[in-house]
Amino acid sequence: MVLEVRNLSVTYQAEGAPVRALQEISFSLKEGDTLGIIGESGSGKTTLGLALMGLIGGKDRVEGNAYFRGTEFLSFSDKGKKALRWKHIAMVFQNSLEVLNPVLNIGEQVGEPLKKHLYLKGKELEARVEELFQLVGLDPQWKEAFPHQLSGGMRQRVLIAMALSCKPELLLVDEPTTSLDPVSRKEMIELLGRLQQEYGFTLVVISHDLSCISRLTSRLLALYGGRVVEEGLTEELLEDPFHPYSRGLINSSPHYFAYKDLWGIPGEPPTGQEAGCSFHSRCSQALESCREGVPALQQVCCERRVACHRGGIVTILEASGLKKEYRLKKRVLQAVNGVDLYIKEGEVAALVGETGSGKSTVAQMLGRLMKPTAGDITFRGEKFYNGVTRQENGIQIVMQDPFSSTSHRLTVEQVLREPLDINKIGTSQERSSRVREALEQVQLPWGTDFLKRFCFELSGGQRQRVAIARALVMKPALLLADEITSMLDPSTQANLLRLLKGLQNSKGFAMLFITHDLELARKVADRVMVMKQGEIVETGSSRRLFTDPCCCHTKELIDAAFGEHQHVHKSHHHPHTHEHVHKHKTQH
Amino acid sequence: MYQSQVMNPRLLLRVPGELYKKGIAFWKSLSIFGKFGLTVILAMIILAVGAPFFTWLPHNVSSGPALVPPGGDHLMGTDELGVDLWSQICYGARVSLLVGLGTALLAGLGGGIIGIWAGYRGGWIERVIMRLIDIMIVLPDLPIMVILAAFFGSSLRNIIIVLALFSWSHPARIIRAQVLSLKEQGYIKMAKSYGAGDLYIIFKHFLPELFPILAVSMIRLSGMAIVTEAALSFLGLGDPTSKSWGLIINHALNFSGIYFTPFWKWWLMYPWAFLTLLITSLALFGRDLERIADPRVVKRN
Repeated sequence: MVLEVRNLSVTYQAEGAPVRALQEISFSLKEGDTLGIIGESGSGKTTLGLALMGLIGGKDRVEGNAYFRGTEFLSFSDKGKKALRWKHIAMVFQNSLEVLNPVLNIGEQVGEPLKKHLYLKGKELEARVEELFQLVGLDPQWKEAFPHQLSGGMRQRVLIAMALSCKPELLLVDEPTTSLDPVSRKEMIELLGRLQQEYGFTLVVISHDLSCISRLTSRLLALYGGRVVEEGLTEELLEDPFHPYSRGLINSSPHYFAYKDLWGIPGEPPTGQEAGCSFHSRCSQALESCREGVPALQQVCCERRVACHRGGIVTILEASGLKKEYRLKKRVLQAVNGVDLYIKEGEVAALVGETGSGKSTVAQMLGRLMKPTAGDITFRGEKFYNGVTRQENGIQIVMQDPFSSTSHRLTVEQVLREPLDINKIGTSQERSSRVREALEQVQLPWGTDFLKRFCFELSGGQRQRVAIARALVMKPALLLADEITSMLDPSTQANLLRLLKGLQNSKGFAMLFITHDLELARKVADRVMVMKQGEIVETGSSRRLFTDPCCCHTKELIDAAFGEHQHVHKSHHHPHTHEHVHKHKTQH
Repeated sequence: MYQSQVMNPRLLLRVPGELYKKGIAFWKSLSIFGKFGLTVILAMIILAVGAPFFTWLPHNVSSGPALVPPGGDHLMGTDELGVDLWSQICYGARVSLLVGLGTALLAGLGGGIIGIWAGYRGGWIERVIMRLIDIMIVLPDLPIMVILAAFFGSSLRNIIIVLALFSWSHPARIIRAQVLSLKEQGYIKMAKSYGAGDLYIIFKHFLPELFPILAVSMIRLSGMAIVTEAALSFLGLGDPTSKSWGLIINHALNFSGIYFTPFWKWWLMYPWAFLTLLITSLALFGRDLERIADPRVVKRN
C-alpha cells in the first residue's frame, strides 16, 4: 500500500462555527494506482489534498489516520511532514497566479525543492531543472521568465515540473485542466498520462472535468459535503452511477458527453447542518427516513460502494418477458416480443427505434392502456395493478397526439381536473389549486380566462402542454412520454423538451422518453434502449451507446441519423458541392 | 367556487347572458332554410302550448253549423259536426308534437345509449345488439304497428312506445359506428386508465360528443313519428279521444264523396298543410343541424 487513509476528518475553525470539511474518509491506494476524486465545489476535494500534504494545521483540526507505506504520517511533527512532502508526496496545486512566487523566476522556483530536498547545487541543479522543463514540454529558455509572463497552460506545466522535481511516489493533482483552453487541456491530460506511465507514480486527480478523470484514473471517489458517497471503478461508475449525486455530476458535466443538454443538480450545496443524509434535500428519491442517520458506505456489488439509505438509485419499474400479440385473421403478429427493461428512479431513459419496432406498444403496456399478452411488470417493487395510473406517485403517460389525448370539447380546467375528479383526490379547492399549479409548471397561463378556454382553441404545442400538465397534476413518479414532440414544429418542440427536462430535473421524476429521433434522445437521455422488431437489442448510457455502439442495428440507426448531418455540414464548407446539390434538385 | 358564483347576483345574470349569446351565434350559423324551419317549429310549439290563448271556440264540441267555409268566426271553417277546425288544428298540434318529441327522445336517447354501449363494450353484447338491429330494420314497420296498435289498444302512450320500439335501431346504428372510431381516441383511453367507469365515460365523453349527431337523428325521428302517427290515425288506429291531425284527415276522408263537395278545400287541406309544413320544417332544420353537427363550426362563427 502506498497510501492508506482511515477515517480522515478535517474541521476548519472558522469564526463562529466550526466547518466540517471532511468527514471520515477512508480509502487506500496501491503502487501505481490512479484515483479520481469528483465533487461539487465545497465538497472537500482540495481539503483532502491539502490534508494529505500535511498543509492543514494550526487551529484547524485533522483527525483520523493516514499511512504512507505503512507509516502513520499525519501525527508527524512539522519537520517530519516537510521531509515527506515533495520527496514522497507531491501536489500539483490548482493553477493560479497566487501559487507561484511573483518575484522569483520560474527556473528558481522549480529548482527550490531540488535544493531543499535533494541538496543539488550549481551545474547539477541547472541540468536537472532543464531536464524537468523538457519533461513537461516547456522550452528551457523560459527559465528566466516570471510567473505573470506565462500563459495558463505553461504555468500548469511549471507546477507539474515542480511537483515532479523530487520524483515523488504519490502525486496529487488538483484541477489540472480548469482554466485551460481545449488544446492545452488535451495536452495536459496526455502529459499527465504519459508521465504516470513512465514514472509509475501513484496518482490522485482531483477534478470537475470528468473526461480528464476518465482518461487518467481507474478508480473514482465521489465526494459530497465532505463524505464519500460513491466509490467504484471509474469506467463503471461513469457508465452507471449508483448514487443520485454521482448521476447529477455526470449530467452536469459538459466535457464528458458533449451532445447532452446540461442540467445541474437542483438545490444548494450542503451547509453541514443537515440531519441524516446530507443529500436528501436535493435527492429525487429521498424518503422521510433519509433524515435519520448518516448513511454508511456499503458494498453494493464488487468494486462499488455507495452511501445511500436506499442502497443507491432505486429501480422504479421493471418489466420482464413483456409480450404483445395481435391476432389478425390468419396469422399472429408479434408487436412486442419478450422485452426486458428497467427504469431507475429519477433518470431519463430513452426508448429508440424505427417506427413499427414496438416502442409505443411497450409504452402503452407500461401506461396500462393495453394489457400485455405475457410478461411481468413490477412497479416500486409491487406487481402491476390497476391503481398505478390512478394514484399520486404512480405512472402517467403523455401520448403522441395532443389533439386526440385531450378532448376538444372540454375546457382546459375540465381536462386537468379529470384525473383528480375521477379518483376523488383532494377537495374541490385543492383540485383547483393543483390545476393552476400544474399549468404554471408547464408555463401556460393559469387565469380563469385560460381555464375556461376550450381545448380546440389551443395550438398543438399548448395542447401538448395541457396533456403534460394533466400528467403532472397526478404528481407522477414515472412519466411515459410517447413521441410527444413528433407532431410539433421545431421551435415548439425545443421549448417543450426543455420545459419537460427542466421539470424532470427539478421534480426528480423518472421518465421514459420514447422517440424515433436519435438527436433528441442524445440531447435528453441518461440511458438509451434500442428496439428492433419488438425486441430490445442494446442498452447503455447515452454516452456509451452514441459514441461506441456495439449492436449493428444501433450502428445503422446512428449512421442514418448522424451520418447525413455530417454531409450537410461539409456542403456548407464547400460552396461547389452545395451548388451541385442545388442543380440536382432543380433538374428533378 | 360554485357557491360563490351563486352568491354573486352579477354572476347569476351572466348565465342567461351567455346562453343568449350562444343562441345568437347558433342562429347565425343556420342557413336560410334552417332559420325558416326553426321558426316554423318554434311557432308550432307556441301554438300547441298556448292553444287556449289562440282559440276562441271549443275544439271538441260543436260551435256552429256544420261544414261552414273559412271566414268570420270560424277561421278555417268547421267539420261535419260543426266543430271549429282552427281549434282542432291548434289542439291537434299538441298531439302531433307530443308524439314526435316523445318518440324522438325515447328512441333517440335509448337508441343512442344502446349504440354507445354496443360500440364501447364490444364482444357478445355488441353482436347481440347488432343482430337485433338487423332484425328491426328488416321488419316492415307499418303492418306490425297496425297489429300492435290494434292489439294493445290505441292510447297515445302506447303509440309513442310502439313508435319508439320501431325507431331506436336507426340512431343506435349510427352512434355505434361513431363510437367505434371515438373509443380509439386518446382521451377516452386516458379517462379509462384514470379509472373512469363505463357510466362516467358514456355520460361525460360519449353522449356530449355524439349529441349533435344524435340531435340530427332525433329530429328525423320526430318527423317520421309524426307522419306515422298521422298514418295510424288515418287508418283509424290512433287514439280516438285525441284529436290529432291525422284523425282530422281520417274523418274528412271518411266523409263519403268529399271530393264532390268543396268541403275538402278546408276540412282536408288545412290539417294536411300543417302536417306538411311541420314535417318539411323538421327536415330542413335537421339538414342544417347535420351540417353544423361539429360544435367547432358554431364556435368559429
